Amino acid sequence: MKRELGMGSALVVICLALFISNSDFLGQSNAVNTLRQISMLGIYAIGSGFVIIAGGIDLSVGSVVGLTGVIIARISSQATGGGGHSLALGVVVALAVALLVGLLQGLLITRLNLQPFIVTLAGMLLIRGVSQTVVQGGTLSLGTSPLLGLANGGLFMRGGDPLLPYPLLIFLGVIAAGGYLLHSTVLGRYLYAIGGNREAAAYSGIPVKRIETTTYVISAGLAGVAGVCYAAYIGQMSQQVGVAYELYAIAAVVLGGCSLRGGEGTVLGIVIGSAMMKVIDNGINMFQVRYQDADGVPRLWRLDANWTFIIVGSVILIAVVLDQVVHVVQGKQRLRVVEPPPAAPTPAAPVS
Amino acid sequence: MQGIGKRFAGVTALRDVSLSARGGEVLALMGENGAGKSTLMKILGGVQPPDAGEIRIEGKPVVIDGVRSAKRLGIALIHQELMLAPNLDIAANIFLGTEGTPLLLSPLPRAAMNKKATALLARVGLALPPTKSVGHLTVGQMQMVEIARALSADARILIMDEPTASLSANESEKLFEVIRKLRADGVCIIYISHRMEEVQLLADRVTVLRDGRWAGDLARAEATSDKIVALMVGRELSGAYFPEKKDRTAGEVVLEVKDLVVPGAPAGVSFAARRGEILGFAGLVGAGRTELVTTIFGVTPARAGTMLLDGQPFAPRSPRDAIRRGVYLAPEDRKHHGLVLPMSITENTTLPGLRAYSRWGRLDGAAERRVAEAEVARLGTRTPSVRQKVVTLSGGNQQKVVLGKWLAMSPRVLILDEPTRGIDVGARAEIYRHVAKLAADGIAVVVVSSDMEEVIGLCDRVVVMRERRMTGLLTGSEITQARIGALMTGARAVATAEVAS
Repeated sequence: MKRELGMGSALVVICLALFISNSDFLGQSNAVNTLRQISMLGIYAIGSGFVIIAGGIDLSVGSVVGLTGVIIARISSQATGGGGHSLALGVVVALAVALLVGLLQGLLITRLNLQPFIVTLAGMLLIRGVSQTVVQGGTLSLGTSPLLGLANGGLFMRGGDPLLPYPLLIFLGVIAAGGYLLHSTVLGRYLYAIGGNREAAAYSGIPVKRIETTTYVISAGLAGVAGVCYAAYIGQMSQQVGVAYELYAIAAVVLGGCSLRGGEGTVLGIVIGSAMMKVIDNGINMFQVRYQDADGVPRLWRLDANWTFIIVGSVILIAVVLDQVVHVVQGKQRLRVVEPPPAAPTPAAPVS
Repeated sequence: MQGIGKRFAGVTALRDVSLSARGGEVLALMGENGAGKSTLMKILGGVQPPDAGEIRIEGKPVVIDGVRSAKRLGIALIHQELMLAPNLDIAANIFLGTEGTPLLLSPLPRAAMNKKATALLARVGLALPPTKSVGHLTVGQMQMVEIARALSADARILIMDEPTASLSANESEKLFEVIRKLRADGVCIIYISHRMEEVQLLADRVTVLRDGRWAGDLARAEATSDKIVALMVGRELSGAYFPEKKDRTAGEVVLEVKDLVVPGAPAGVSFAARRGEILGFAGLVGAGRTELVTTIFGVTPARAGTMLLDGQPFAPRSPRDAIRRGVYLAPEDRKHHGLVLPMSITENTTLPGLRAYSRWGRLDGAAERRVAEAEVARLGTRTPSVRQKVVTLSGGNQQKVVLGKWLAMSPRVLILDEPTRGIDVGARAEIYRHVAKLAADGIAVVVVSSDMEEVIGLCDRVVVMRERRMTGLLTGSEITQARIGALMTGARAVATAEVAS
């Protein structure tokens, strides 16, 4: 929990600093939009978290996000290129395809003992390619599909913006379900055991391969759910939707305290990590400093948006470096505590 | 080497050991597993520093503070696991780290390397082009490459740690020829081996270690297998900490193993484990005992043979199958196979039977904690709480967590592979007491151990294995150091009689 506390405090500090520098940061429009962004990232980041906690990695997440929207547009859109079928059919088929992708990757990884990095890397390219052939290199519009309401609508509408956008509601549902699965069930315990020591888990009779496969299904399924939200949010599906999202997910998961070695992490941490990613993203646009130039004219200094990746990359590096420092210091303390007492005397041997 | 001492984290590995070897001589170093042979040789090879003592080469005291300085002094250590890069060719391996170029960026002197390598290969009797990839060689050929590498560094002292462990008879014979040739060239060879025949064939002298101490030197003429075994195992047994043996062998057969062929084993193994007894498996490391018990536990499938559990066919295809039938294994490698180190005592204890603590998949944390606390209390595990992560516990307490995890789900057959490895003396006595108690409770307990004292003190019947074969089954008063020692090292006279019976 220490990691969550640390990242959570850092997040609060950053939010406060942004609010002080620019009060619009917590204005309704920006706050709701940021929450929407956090939610859409968080949904699939939790999926990635399941895989990573069990010691795997899923690089196909972004491509699944993109493919979901492309399938919905292809089946349900009334605009040119769309199939004109019902929206429900499109969504169901898209989610089913996502789950199937996860199942196939999971089976390849566990049954053939292939490396997850390679299998999901190939999956990432393959699925991206499928999206590309469907959209024929161009875009597919969702037109005026009612799906668009999913991203922009929500509960408690105020001035055209909802206070609780639907993606946030979905995210809260995923947090509740994911938190329950991971922290309160047999399945969750098995994930930590497999991530902590795969061999010992197998020696304890855990069906390791089946559980690992399940994590890839969960990851792809949640990527599908996030994909539906992104489709609604963007409206125009192209092969570019979802590019590199798997890396944002991994970054969010790691920022939230999961180890890529597996066996560590919490849903709360992943939520904080996702929020961190998107707050920084948004903060780069919002951050400003008022000052007066030489002539006494008040001016605004803003961050150059071209710095986004430099800042995001630095934040991730700083977080893992700090974490490692804490680990090493704690490890040294532990060693000092466990230092063995002076050699135990041999047991009293019978006097011969 | 004189008065060498070495301690590891509170355990004394070597105490006041002295050893001398001359050029042009083969000195065999013998002893049980854990006697300190490898540690002593690692000190000589610069892999580990000694804590006490002095090393002299040709009369001059030397300080060996690393593998490089050992190399400079002409000492080469050939490890049991060969240290070759299989993706590189023979010449590259021989000169790895000693390419002789002035700069890291200098081009490799391939032609010169190949030429020198060819000469070295001729010396070790290997007729192969130096450009052949090491990954394609047999283990015996790799061994020769290792020796060639040692020779390339002008080694005057060559240490070999069980070089024939994975060689065929033919390959071993070739190795012996090379060793004899090197001896004739004046090289001093220190040869670690468990194989009696080899030692008698090759060695000019034998030095025996026991429990980290020097146990004796034998000249070639007096080095009979009886004398060597006596020096290896002949220690006073301190029976104080073993529980009293009762006549427990009367119970009915729980697990019957018939001609079970483990992958890699030359022949089948048959035995029966009875209710309420402790059945021991003695032998040296690599005798095939761990492979046998992991097969019974379903980790690797058997190649042939049958097993019966309570008279019913038993053919586990995974640990899951074995656990369902009540056959549990506390594995040799606790940290890799027995425990999830970053998890708590509670989580480790309930892991195999986790479903019993859940309703509709939801875990009942209170029930888990109760069971973990009960096991901690029963076994006397020393820990501030059951929430403690097992990584922070000592070896003895970790082993108790492994035991507790299986006791929490009422075993039929409990297999303990090296139950006291790396555990201090005090905790050992406790573990022995618990094991005896389990047997008394009607569990068939199987104990695999390389510790002779443990096997003799604890077990009702003892299966002895050597080189993946079962070489004997001893009961009651037959369980003596001499009998077990002879069966596990293959000292001829006794062994043949046992196999025949």
